Amino acid sequence: MRDIIIKITGTSGQGIISSGDILSYATARKGYYVTTYRAFPSEIRGDGKCYYTLRISEHKALTATGDIDILICLDKDTIFECINKIKPNGILIYDKDYTGEIETDRKDLIIYPIPTTSIAKELNSERSRNMVSLGIVVEVLKNLHIEEQILKDIELRYRLKPQEVIDSNKNALNAGIKYAKEQLERKDSYDKTEMKQTGAKLIMSGNEAIGLAALVSGCRFFAGYPITPATEIMEWLAKELPKFGGKMVQCEDEIAAINYALGASYAGVKSMTATSGPGFSLMQEAIGLASMAELPVVIADVQRCGPSTGVPTKTEQSDLFAAMYGTHGDCPKIVLAPMDVADCFYQTINAFNFAEQYQVPVIILSDASLGPRRECVDLIDIEKLKIVNRQKPTLKEGDIYNRYEDTQTGISPITSPGDMYGEHVITGLEHTQSNAPTPEPETHRKMTEKRFRKLETAAGQFSKAKTYGDEDASIGIISWGSTSGPVFEAIDKAHGKGIKVQALYPRTLYPLPTDWIKDFVKNKDVIIVIEANYNAQFKSTIVERCTHINRGTEVIEFLKYDGTPFTPEEILDEIEKVSQIQDEKDTIKTNKHTHF
Amino acid sequence: MEAADYKGKVKSSWCPGCGNHAVNTALRKAMARLGYKTHETAIVSGIGCSSRFPFFMSTYGFHSIHGRALPVAIGLKQANPKINVIAVGGDGDGLSIGGNHFIHAGRKNPNITYIMMDNEIYALTKGQCSPTSRIGTTTKCNPYAWTADRINPVLMALSFNASYVARSYSGDIQQLEELIYGGLVHKGFSFIHVISPCVQYNKVSSFEKIKELVRNLPENHDTSDRANAMKYAFAPEGLYTGVFYESIRPTYEERYQDVISKAKQIAGENYTIDDVIKQFK
Repeated sequence: MRDIIIKITGTSGQGIISSGDILSYATARKGYYVTTYRAFPSEIRGDGKCYYTLRISEHKALTATGDIDILICLDKDTIFECINKIKPNGILIYDKDYTGEIETDRKDLIIYPIPTTSIAKELNSERSRNMVSLGIVVEVLKNLHIEEQILKDIELRYRLKPQEVIDSNKNALNAGIKYAKEQLERKDSYDKTEMKQTGAKLIMSGNEAIGLAALVSGCRFFAGYPITPATEIMEWLAKELPKFGGKMVQCEDEIAAINYALGASYAGVKSMTATSGPGFSLMQEAIGLASMAELPVVIADVQRCGPSTGVPTKTEQSDLFAAMYGTHGDCPKIVLAPMDVADCFYQTINAFNFAEQYQVPVIILSDASLGPRRECVDLIDIEKLKIVNRQKPTLKEGDIYNRYEDTQTGISPITSPGDMYGEHVITGLEHTQSNAPTPEPETHRKMTEKRFRKLETAAGQFSKAKTYGDEDASIGIISWGSTSGPVFEAIDKAHGKGIKVQALYPRTLYPLPTDWIKDFVKNKDVIIVIEANYNAQFKSTIVERCTHINRGTEVIEFLKYDGTPFTPEEILDEIEKVSQIQDEKDTIKTNKHTHF
Repeated sequence: MEAADYKGKVKSSWCPGCGNHAVNTALRKAMARLGYKTHETAIVSGIGCSSRFPFFMSTYGFHSIHGRALPVAIGLKQANPKINVIAVGGDGDGLSIGGNHFIHAGRKNPNITYIMMDNEIYALTKGQCSPTSRIGTTTKCNPYAWTADRINPVLMALSFNASYVARSYSGDIQQLEELIYGGLVHKGFSFIHVISPCVQYNKVSSFEKIKELVRNLPENHDTSDRANAMKYAFAPEGLYTGVFYESIRPTYEERYQDVISKAKQIAGENYTIDDVIKQFK
């Protein structure tokens, strides 16, 4: 076996996330690939359910979804919720003291009822049920040899806590391992599971990757307001920025946060903020200010279900329209969508480069399935990264400096307070090249064009859209952001069944790279646009913006808007359905469709 | 530098007789006394008549959006504490749409000066009631009567712990200059409330009317006594001007410098990006 899916479940407050984190760090540090998925309620304690899924593999796994090899349940409800997702001959581990003996129809499963509570109680640490359970897993997967590493990771995770905390966690883990070694009658074959260790890599969450890239880009000012699921970016930068002399300020609200960032950017410092839906709505006016005043700023929107407060902890890709068109007026900006954790890093580097070079607000669209998810990232070569700084004019006494000089590229060199001879006033009012406010029609027309010209200049610099799958496929998928994992995996599975599919992932969504889409669509009979929202926001954008291409191609949508991420199986089903229909040359009745 | 050197190229858009002219002159005079360099000074504003202020100066300036002068100014100052940052704006901008930021500016104590030009009206939109309009005022928006009580900006600043709180009025340019000078010199958040009559849309609180109401704070007023300052801010007998309160505590920027020192101490001297990446290995 080269690939194992482990799911840890329970009620909020039972330590599901911390045990999942410890296990994922340990397996990654041991040299395996790991990718995770976390789902949790917004309550800290209470009846909310927590789920932490890890997929440990030899090769980079694309998703943490799929049928479960080992399910570890710390409460009763989640057993019945998840039991049918266990593979045949898979394992269920649960705390029989806590839940009582479980009856199930799944006779194909290997079930280990463990006296977890009793073991934890003997150690005077009933709270450590999670670590006892983790000990059982470590022994079940003993051929992965993670025991030593996991003890190290416990120490690392709790290094700032009192020694008792570290000890009680370690003792509980050891007690779990000991119980499994000595008293568990093994009926499974997972003890034979071996995997190749593929060497050094990094493990981080999507949110951390954004924070890290900001730091690497030279961002030295972050202003934010706590909001699920984006807070982790702020917390990470709060810890790291001051070590480099940078600043993280927590503001009174999101409106303040982005305006702080704009003030700091005006001061010449690379600045950013991060938020989710409700905060993103509040920031719209200031995004327009950044666009009009031509101030670089980066905004990470870790999307969650909306509208309004929506479902704060669940994922959706429903802020695309808000990111592209949320601000009033003709508002040039750039919207980027990272595909996975590694891409969160690289697109954030791009975001700062674009913001600084083109003096526009750049929005990064992550989401609740990508932000908190930890996964392995190949080593990053910092030296090879291109870091762009804003273009400054060279001025001497007596020079006339026009802040908004109408240049061929649209980019006007920028000065900051402190720079001699560069004094100017920036404004959200329409203004002349010498930054005087004016309502004059010709100026508004020319300056609007100047601001948008920067996007034309930028277009050549955008990351190439990623393609995946068979080039000669007649079925195409166009999608964006965090859906890439399940989509790529579904394409692999379809390939296995003899169905050829190719996917296209533009990382720049605004301005839309219509040329790549045009190229991609050329030899496709049907395009499925896959995204996690009700309105088919990206599909309608493509249809609207790419009217000039390939009128024969049929474009259908495959949407999900229940707060959970796509699974490869769902996408495979859709591919098979579309493939069958294509084969029959029948009309598609079940989907709304549009022709280019 | 002379006061005239701080005059910007853009022609003033304020009406003849507007109270804001005096504030502009007083600020330029105070800056000249302190020898402020134009390239090291930034005037930040929101939206409103008085918020056009930065355009009429030769320094750096940021004319932002309605209500947001303070967050922009504090962000700028935090990012580069060497810049002299002065936020300006009106009563609508600072007390209504931007009221929240005023509260938090006081509590954070950034080393900036905030001059509020209070004309008790929204003048740029041609005369609607503002948070300092008097009850019963009639405008096109409130043709029968304005029905909300007034905000007392000085009392507000005092209660949120602004570390320099003063009030003046546009009819007394000498006092205005002194109080602004005091605010610029003050280390911490200095708030100067300026009654700055609108000659166009506010016939109630005219120069003449305000002149009758203003009186200097008693000479023996102890400016370190916040409770007493609040008493004068409350005073029903008239509109006191002068320095209500002044105290020194670490600024927002200084407190963050302590954070940086602490973080650097934990990280060690030679901490680099490679060390950051190590935590993910």
